[in-house]
Amino acid sequence: MRHFKSQLLLLLPAAAVYLFFLVLPLWTVIAESFRTFTPGRIGAVAGAPLTVKNYTEFAGPVYATYFGQTYVLAFFASVIAIIIAFPVAYYIAKNASASVRKIWISALVGLMFLSALVRIYAIELTFGSVGILAPFMSFVGVNMNGTAYINIIIIVGLLHYAIPISILIMIGAILNLNPRLTEAAQSLGASAIESHLSVTIPLCIKGIVSAFLVSMTFGVSAFAIPWILGRGRVQFISNIIYSRFSEVSNYPSGAAISIIMLVLSLLMIFIISRIATFFDRT
Amino acid sequence: MLSKRHTDAGLGVLLKATIALTAVFLLLPVVMTVIMSFDSRNYLGQFPPPSLSTQWFTKFAHNGYLWSGLRTSLLLATATTVGATTVGALAALAISRMTAQWRDPVTTAFLSPLVLPGVIIGFALLMAFSALSAVPTFLKMLAGHLLITVPFTIRMTLIGLAGISATLGEAALSLGANERQSFFTIILPLAKNSIAAGAIFAFAFSMDDLTISLFLSDFNTYPLPVALVGLMRSNFDLTLAAAAVFLMGLTVIILIVLDRIFGLERVIGHGIYKA
Repeated sequence: MRHFKSQLLLLLPAAAVYLFFLVLPLWTVIAESFRTFTPGRIGAVAGAPLTVKNYTEFAGPVYATYFGQTYVLAFFASVIAIIIAFPVAYYIAKNASASVRKIWISALVGLMFLSALVRIYAIELTFGSVGILAPFMSFVGVNMNGTAYINIIIIVGLLHYAIPISILIMIGAILNLNPRLTEAAQSLGASAIESHLSVTIPLCIKGIVSAFLVSMTFGVSAFAIPWILGRGRVQFISNIIYSRFSEVSNYPSGAAISIIMLVLSLLMIFIISRIATFFDRT
Repeated sequence: MLSKRHTDAGLGVLLKATIALTAVFLLLPVVMTVIMSFDSRNYLGQFPPPSLSTQWFTKFAHNGYLWSGLRTSLLLATATTVGATTVGALAALAISRMTAQWRDPVTTAFLSPLVLPGVIIGFALLMAFSALSAVPTFLKMLAGHLLITVPFTIRMTLIGLAGISATLGEAALSLGANERQSFFTIILPLAKNSIAAGAIFAFAFSMDDLTISLFLSDFNTYPLPVALVGLMRSNFDLTLAAAAVFLMGLTVIILIVLDRIFGLERVIGHGIYKA
């Protein structure tokens, strides 16, 4: 019994942090999302009548575009990150010498820790209108202010984080592989590509799904990347929530989008982890 | 057989090209920024710079707006690190003693802020604090930063504690030490590197947070990322490149310290995201 009490005491500070800084604030958001908003005020009046209008206004096609943009761009970035990261991770885990591996891992962990704003600034400087690609782009006739190019730049921004983190996750998965299985497949007549497709990748599927989940979670909650690189032409859900606070002070509407975004994020994580456990079992 | 060998050879070339292109893609923006920060032109011109100078670093050094942000960030990150490390280590200690049936759901609950969009946490805290206008800005931001860094300190401490055999603590207890003595003389020294690694994560993530601070900061108290994004949106010049190079230096220091006390190779597999 004494043991149990001391355990609760140890958990108490953390539980207080989560209760006061997460649970109660989220409860406030839920309550606010059902309040009627009076234009020109900051937030809803206390005791304002309850309404579901804050939710129903997002059923329109305008908002579907924002949700679509967020999920489609995050999905493309995650898929590209996985396709690129897998061979690189395989090379680092299996073929690189100890010193080369150390250099790669240091660089990748460094890129993971790189300040998000430094990353965004560097990408704008490199791929933006003064970047090294600018003369080439104008030569080919690509409009660097067009929405298509802005979408690509946002994917590039997401990839600059998603690729390093995916490589690091997959190195862990590949190091746990038994190399004899792939070798066995190859000695039985499979080509390198066949043996990887039929042996290596299925065995690493859990690592691949984790990397996809982390990239997707990062992508759909991205805020600064679309804010700066999107130049106001392409916006993610995060940016819409922020504009409800900074531009129109319509807190009930911001609260409703936050709840929708939260539910969608949790749903996505639930589905992807289900897929991971499904593969794990087979 | 021949065609298989051809595809394998082709695959090898493709693999090498992918690796090289990935390295270039990841490093090019960093290298570009470093080179551009030494540009001698006093406007943002085409790459490469015609000649080099340190004028942007001088401008950065005299930019009171950015330095005020940096001072707030350092104070905030230090307070966050101390708070998150203590709270997280205590919680991890309690979690590690739980039975398996409790351990998993409790761990998942405590790691949940990692998957929550930062904007939602920032917005929720803003709403909650709007009822309490007397709370100083610094403390509001500290609350948000604690919430997003405690998951890291809990996870890293749990990794450290997992490596310690439970029998060691029990041996100390059976030899007459009380719970506190066994903690300070046995458990803490053995877990200290993991706890320190968690502290580094907390410091780095607090220094880098933009989203939460953006909702909670004001004109007098703002951290460096909020100052940087303000400049980025108003005046995209190379003072920012100099500031970026400064922050890259900070990242390198964090990397070296992390390598010394924890080992970068251990970050893989069970670093922050587990495969």
